Amino acid sequence: MSLKRLSWHGSPRSSNMAASILSRRTAVLFDITKLNSQINFLPAVVQQIANYNPRPLWLNIKNPYIPDKSNEKTPDWQKTDKYDRKRFGRYGQASGVDPAQLWPSHAQLEEMIGEEREWHPPLQVMLGNIAAKEKERTAKRMEREKIIAANMAKMPKMIADWKKQKQETKQKQKEEKVKRERLLAEATERFGHAVDPRSAKFKEMVAEIEKEEKKKRKLLKRKKREDDAGLSPAAAESSQ
Amino acid sequence: MSANKITGGKTIDIVKNLPRINLANLRPNPGATKNETHRGHGMHGGNKSGRGHKGERQRGNRPRLGFEGGQTPFYLVIPKYGYNANHSRRPQYPPFSLRKLQYLIDLGRIDTTQPIDLTQLVNSRGVAIQPLKRDYGIQLVDEGADIFCAKVNLEVQVASEKAIAAIERNGGVITTSFYDPRSLQVLIKPVPFFISGQPIPKRMLPGEDLLPYYTDANHRGYLADQDQVQAARLALAKKYGYSLPDITKDELFDMLAQRKDPRQIFFGLSPGWVVNMEDKKILKPTDEKVLQYYGS
Repeated sequence: MSLKRLSWHGSPRSSNMAASILSRRTAVLFDITKLNSQINFLPAVVQQIANYNPRPLWLNIKNPYIPDKSNEKTPDWQKTDKYDRKRFGRYGQASGVDPAQLWPSHAQLEEMIGEEREWHPPLQVMLGNIAAKEKERTAKRMEREKIIAANMAKMPKMIADWKKQKQETKQKQKEEKVKRERLLAEATERFGHAVDPRSAKFKEMVAEIEKEEKKKRKLLKRKKREDDAGLSPAAAESSQ
Repeated sequence: MSANKITGGKTIDIVKNLPRINLANLRPNPGATKNETHRGHGMHGGNKSGRGHKGERQRGNRPRLGFEGGQTPFYLVIPKYGYNANHSRRPQYPPFSLRKLQYLIDLGRIDTTQPIDLTQLVNSRGVAIQPLKRDYGIQLVDEGADIFCAKVNLEVQVASEKAIAAIERNGGVITTSFYDPRSLQVLIKPVPFFISGQPIPKRMLPGEDLLPYYTDANHRGYLADQDQVQAARLALAKKYGYSLPDITKDELFDMLAQRKDPRQIFFGLSPGWVVNMEDKKILKPTDEKVLQYYGS
């Protein structure tokens, strides 16, 4: 890259446009006059030019090679469509290729259209698919969140229940402990020495105590009933 | 070490008068380095010279690191997972900074009176794209956003928000557009493509993964609604705290307003045309079906 006629005015980073004159090869394709007319409004003093030296194309060959399609000695790849296009691209009309061959034939076109229909859906279809997927995702998320919310609403009650349960079991354990200690004390009193709670004697003793307690309870109940019965006729009499 | 023990002044005064630190004054802490054991010359460094007895070891023909005698080695048995999974199928966008763009403009390698495309950037040797290595274009990176001061009509594939703001603040226009790999190859090397004699292909639309990106006005996608893009420009100006210049009153408004059709690869050239470099002619198809295909 060669820099020609570099004239720096003020800060190089001014907002003035830097004009680049295009290289010889590409200059032929672009209309230089149009460019220059656009640059005219720029102050003519600031003109920074960068020229590129592109690799020469070596296209200017007077006698291009035209393969003989009918001859069997010519390699197969020189008889293909692709090679014809390449020859046309290199030599232009001098290659002797009919320009109509450059585009795909109707059969090839059908193939290409079919492929595109399958693999490249139109914009609206794709947008529809994306919207559908998004909808599905949000629906799933909402479902899940609903379940979570419902469960969270139940949580305080569940926590309270669990706490109560815990308390109850603790209470029971305490009572059990107290009861066992009481029985043990009874047993030692009765037998005069420490008894193993697992032994048969202990169990018998426990059974006896239970029986006695049952009897007591029954007596109490009967008494209570009699009292009530006694009281109520008395009450009935007194009320009269 | 107490400074009080040193006669006279403080340690700092001593240190100030010491010579400058250089390699001659430095040495590693005792025990930091250990002498490398290497073959001595003769006696017990001789004979087999620490190479072992016969075989690949002595003859220096051991296989590459990781080879396990033919068993699938550990580094191949373990599959890639997570961050590295499917890395070779992911689109890549080499970064292109605003600083580099400013540099190219300053040196005159890029013409700001024309829309700046990937073709222009490659022509000016500002970027190197390898479509065969899963490069799908360039991403505009905001390094140099504070020094960027050029009014350009830029087209990249991905752009960060700050970079978009930097371009629009200077009265420029930025668009993000998608090129499928074949179109990208055509875009970066137009002349070899023209020499191949093929008709210009039409650009394919992005897949469902990238479509949301290019239909978003905040990313200045080429498929986004233009009204939304205008609204996004205003919103961005508010966010970054600059006043958005009115490009409709600009001298280069026509150039700045130039944008490619979603199916178009080159400005001024339609899909289906054949450009011949030798004859310096453009050939256009006349067949209905062909026209329909390339026009769709």
